[in-house]
Amino acid sequence: MMKRWMGLLLSILAVVFLFTRPMPAPAQIREIRIGDSKGDWGYPNPYRHYPRGPGYVRMSWVFDTLVWKGEKGYVPALADSWSYDPARMAFTFHLNPNAKWHDLQPLTARDVVFSIAYFKKHPYTWISVDDVGRVEAPETHTVVMYLSKPYSPFISDIGGTMPILPKHIWESVDNPAAYNDPKAFIGSGPYRFADFNKAQGTYLYEAFAEYYQGRPKADRLIYVRSGQPLVSLANRQIDLAGIQPDMAEPLRKKGLVVIKDERGWNKKLMINHQKAPFSDKRFRHALAFAIDRQEIIEKSHRGFAAPASYGLLSVDHEMYHPGTPTYPFNPERARALIESMGYGKGADGFYERSGQPLKVELLASNITVAGQSVADRDGEVIKMQLERVGIRVDLVNLEQATTDSRVKSWNFDLAVSGHGGVSGDPRILNEMISSQYGAGSVNSARYDADTELNGLLEAQMTEMDQNKRKEIVYKIQEVYAEELPAISLYYPDSMSAYDPEKGVAWYYTPGGISKGIPIPQNKMSLIK
Amino acid sequence: MKHSQRNSRHRQYIVAYLLAALVMMYVSYSVPRWLPGDFVTAMYSSSHVTLNAEQEADLRAYYTQRQGFGRYLVDFFTLNWGYSYAFLTPISELIREALPWTLLLLGTAHLLSMVVGFLAGVEAAWRRGRVIEKAGVGSMTVLEGFPEIGTAVILLLVFALHLGWFPAAGGETAYVEQSFGRWALDVTHHLALPLLTLLLAYFPGNFLLTRGSMVMVLKEHFIETARAKGLPSLRIRYAHAARNALLPMVTRFGLRIAFMVTGALVVETIYAYPGLGTLLFNAIAMRDLPLIQGIVLLSSLMVLFVNLALEFVYGWIDPRVKHAS
Repeated sequence: MMKRWMGLLLSILAVVFLFTRPMPAPAQIREIRIGDSKGDWGYPNPYRHYPRGPGYVRMSWVFDTLVWKGEKGYVPALADSWSYDPARMAFTFHLNPNAKWHDLQPLTARDVVFSIAYFKKHPYTWISVDDVGRVEAPETHTVVMYLSKPYSPFISDIGGTMPILPKHIWESVDNPAAYNDPKAFIGSGPYRFADFNKAQGTYLYEAFAEYYQGRPKADRLIYVRSGQPLVSLANRQIDLAGIQPDMAEPLRKKGLVVIKDERGWNKKLMINHQKAPFSDKRFRHALAFAIDRQEIIEKSHRGFAAPASYGLLSVDHEMYHPGTPTYPFNPERARALIESMGYGKGADGFYERSGQPLKVELLASNITVAGQSVADRDGEVIKMQLERVGIRVDLVNLEQATTDSRVKSWNFDLAVSGHGGVSGDPRILNEMISSQYGAGSVNSARYDADTELNGLLEAQMTEMDQNKRKEIVYKIQEVYAEELPAISLYYPDSMSAYDPEKGVAWYYTPGGISKGIPIPQNKMSLIK
Repeated sequence: MKHSQRNSRHRQYIVAYLLAALVMMYVSYSVPRWLPGDFVTAMYSSSHVTLNAEQEADLRAYYTQRQGFGRYLVDFFTLNWGYSYAFLTPISELIREALPWTLLLLGTAHLLSMVVGFLAGVEAAWRRGRVIEKAGVGSMTVLEGFPEIGTAVILLLVFALHLGWFPAAGGETAYVEQSFGRWALDVTHHLALPLLTLLLAYFPGNFLLTRGSMVMVLKEHFIETARAKGLPSLRIRYAHAARNALLPMVTRFGLRIAFMVTGALVVETIYAYPGLGTLLFNAIAMRDLPLIQGIVLLSSLMVLFVNLALEFVYGWIDPRVKHAS
């Protein structure tokens, strides 16, 4: 009898032990290899990375920001919590007390105060701290930033993009661009920078075991240059890479997971609206009606793209205005608009006015999308479409830097171009429309002719109430699409593939990483 | 020819080559400046950073500082080749890192294709009219017309994607700790496909050129004399005929050196192989003027140096050159 009771007791203990012992921790991944067609994106610190998305992402593994964009919006990073006080125009951030630098020094509010002051003295082109006035550290882990005027993209531009620098290292650095000491790479992010091989285009990062959000999932993170991601992914030589949409099916069959980005990058037709006939809005509308975007997508991209909103902001953006004016393909309307400007068809079937033929030059080049140069035939298709309407087109294919240089100096008629960020903060509207914000950009329309539009752009930058800002952004899209200083054509499909057996689920960040980087290498994927 | 005359001719060669080097240095200094566009536009055009007018002006002022040719020469001879705009690293360091990979891939491809092409060409010419020679000439003519890009893609598909025998990219497996022996094997493993692509591109030309020269040489009277004397066929083939057919091959080798940097650009890009070609390609795309100047100059000087060396090699291979007035 005693034996039976003992047996029962042991059985109960065994069951209790089995069900109450802690779950085993997920196995630590030895390394993750990410493929990249270019390889080199500069050194991963704020002053030495290339000013492009992949360069910023390489830095983001090493340097943390106050907040970060995760799969479902902003999540805490160095700041556990944050709030905005409209009366004082002040943002308060409460820092994570466990945050440490890679040299194990504690990260405090003084580092944040120092970072703002340092970026004011040595500007970092990714952010603008002009509107940040006084910055205080009332407690060791509390920072208060007073704005000199309301600045609506604050959380996106400063909270979620500005890397925090260690004061004890950078306070003695006067020339940050030339600073290449190993200490220049001491950050507070999940990975320590270990090596960058310039010839091979490879990067090595090692997990920071004392990271305040827990040891990262993979011990080593490696970037390798890969000319053919399809082959490298299929052979498991790399675990994650951007792919061409045609590669999706073969890779799925090989057991890889294929992910597709939201529509955050738009191809557009730049128009030199400073010269006739492009300065006439009717002609710009005629161009929009003459272009069949679906035909470009079918012929030039085998269907792997979607027509873009004429209002510039992505159709996936929460502030996208569904009532934005559209210009459905209508060659008859295009011809009517051109004829209303006094043009008539000549003997050769092309328009002319006062004996002068209507002839435009169209610049085209391979565009870099998310770090990869993509060849297309958009120029040929647009030329064909405009000539069908009666506009003679001289198509000039140039290397991208040459095209950009001509667009920049207004030495062009039409140019096929493109940029990302249209699913990120609506500040992109200012940068891509107004010369006040985008004078230095080759993708900006630099269109200041409409005073209403100028006023709306200014207003959305200072409206801190998101609902009111949304109303302004709606109106901007309406006016911009009506003025049409540039024509958004389509959003090319952007895809990546990864090996699920590695135990990391990669994703495209809604709105893009930081200011809208459409790359699925969000560091949150490697944080437990 | 008298010794002093020969020395004077050597001096003339060297002076002529030095003048050519100076011209090349001027060309490498000035031509990249004619490229439309500049570093700031190239670097920021596809950027998520939108520059305002002030930021752009500051950056442009920083990156477009003009340096005179005199200063450029002084810097060159003091090995101060400047800093790359994009890498923020000394040019000499970038070239030092990339050059060994280019030498390994291109050097091996040139040497192997030359030696094997030469031997195969000699043997084919010796067997002129036979099936094997006809088949060789036919297949090599077809292969000669086949672009490297096509060969590279086919090799990748077969050996990397389907069979999985070779890696698709890189010069070595990055960040793997291994012994020297295993590292050498790893480098060879990565080298295999790009090298094979280049061999298939270079070999047919070498084969056809040697065969053509050899066929002409074999018609010469001295070959008939050698045969009549009853010399062994191997000796006639190589000591008498092949030596005379070697000169065009050496010239071709010198010319090919000119393509050392740019020749493997396609192959380097497809296989993501580290090297000077890829470095130059990226530098031009980014308008990284100091880096473009450095690579162009280095490759020009390499061409000059090899051609100067060949002037002496010609005389050694074929004494008639030495004695020609």
